[in-house]
Amino acid sequence: MVRRRIPSQGLQGHNDALVTRVPDPWVYGEVTSDAEIVRRVRDGDTAAFAVLVARYRDRLGRYAVHMLGDRSDAEEALQDAFVRAHRSLARCREDAQFGPWLFGILVNRCRTAGRRAARRHRMFVRDEVSLERASAPETSDRAEWEDTVRWAMERLAPPLREAFLLKHVEDMEYAEMSRLTGTGVSALKMRVMRAREQLRALLTEVERV
Amino acid sequence: MFDRDEDVLDRVIDQLRQPVEMDPTLDTAIMTRVAAGGDRVGRLAAVWEWAWRPREISVSPLAGLGLAAALVGIVVWLAGRNPRVGPPVAGPSTVQFVVVAPGAASVSLVGDFNDWDGAATPMHAARSGALWSVTVPLTPGRYRYAFLVNGSRWVADPAAPRVPDDFDAPSSVVTVGG
Repeated sequence: MVRRRIPSQGLQGHNDALVTRVPDPWVYGEVTSDAEIVRRVRDGDTAAFAVLVARYRDRLGRYAVHMLGDRSDAEEALQDAFVRAHRSLARCREDAQFGPWLFGILVNRCRTAGRRAARRHRMFVRDEVSLERASAPETSDRAEWEDTVRWAMERLAPPLREAFLLKHVEDMEYAEMSRLTGTGVSALKMRVMRAREQLRALLTEVERV
Repeated sequence: MFDRDEDVLDRVIDQLRQPVEMDPTLDTAIMTRVAAGGDRVGRLAAVWEWAWRPREISVSPLAGLGLAAALVGIVVWLAGRNPRVGPPVAGPSTVQFVVVAPGAASVSLVGDFNDWDGAATPMHAARSGALWSVTVPLTPGRYRYAFLVNGSRWVADPAAPRVPDDFDAPSSVVTVGG
């Protein structure tokens, strides 16, 4: 495998050039491991962090959107998570475990953002962007199902929603969920079970309406 | 809406696992904050860390006595102030009610706050036609409510606590904090 030389210039003071300079897929793309990129960022190549952002943006975004139910809140939580991860990169003990470590930061940011949203007295938070997209006539059935799922997820208490998403959407083992959330395995199992029961009850109720 | 033979939870999970595309311009915003270094979050965290860092303070016996006297004086002064008359006045909070009613021609919100008047608080459908919502200002208190579908069918909020009402119709309850 041939690799080109990685540019060593940092980004400080050159904000306008941020996006055009990085990422170079050949240099930083899928062939480069998280651990290698983390090491380069630690060595002062801030630009390399953009590859990790691009690599994890959508997967983490999916969790944040489903957890918070609001795209702008999700984007803010996502930004905070990446910025905190960069600032605390020295605390990521195993470079190869950057992904799970970053996910843990995002889970905490979503908890904070969720509490903030609750203080705004919103019983239900709408994802306006998705609703706009969902209103297209050719996708009405699918859009209706998306709306229904979003509505049902919002009705779950945040700890239940968090456990359900980590288990069934992110496909995590209970031990990993426990490490990430600081909650015991048995409590997590109960939360997942209750989330499943409540979702089933909510969606059955919708069917009857 | 869905086949009974198919586990609805499997369909929910399939839906939630669909890729979600975030706005790519987020990368710029993130990298700008990263490159700026001392971002808002970082500064707050630094202040927080500084505030909680334990420190050793040396105080002479005389200064210690002086500080203690000053603290006693402040406590006595605060205790002597006139208490505020009357309870604090809490303003209304904005509460959004949402219900899924696919195919409904009209949905209204009825409850203690509008004398159960089906014409007082009509709900508005999203363009997909399934979600109906309305936002109402409510002063702190406990309110019973229900959704009136097509002007005749009473539907309780499936997730909120239910309470019996005077006419055996399903209704839910919401408590707005002060």
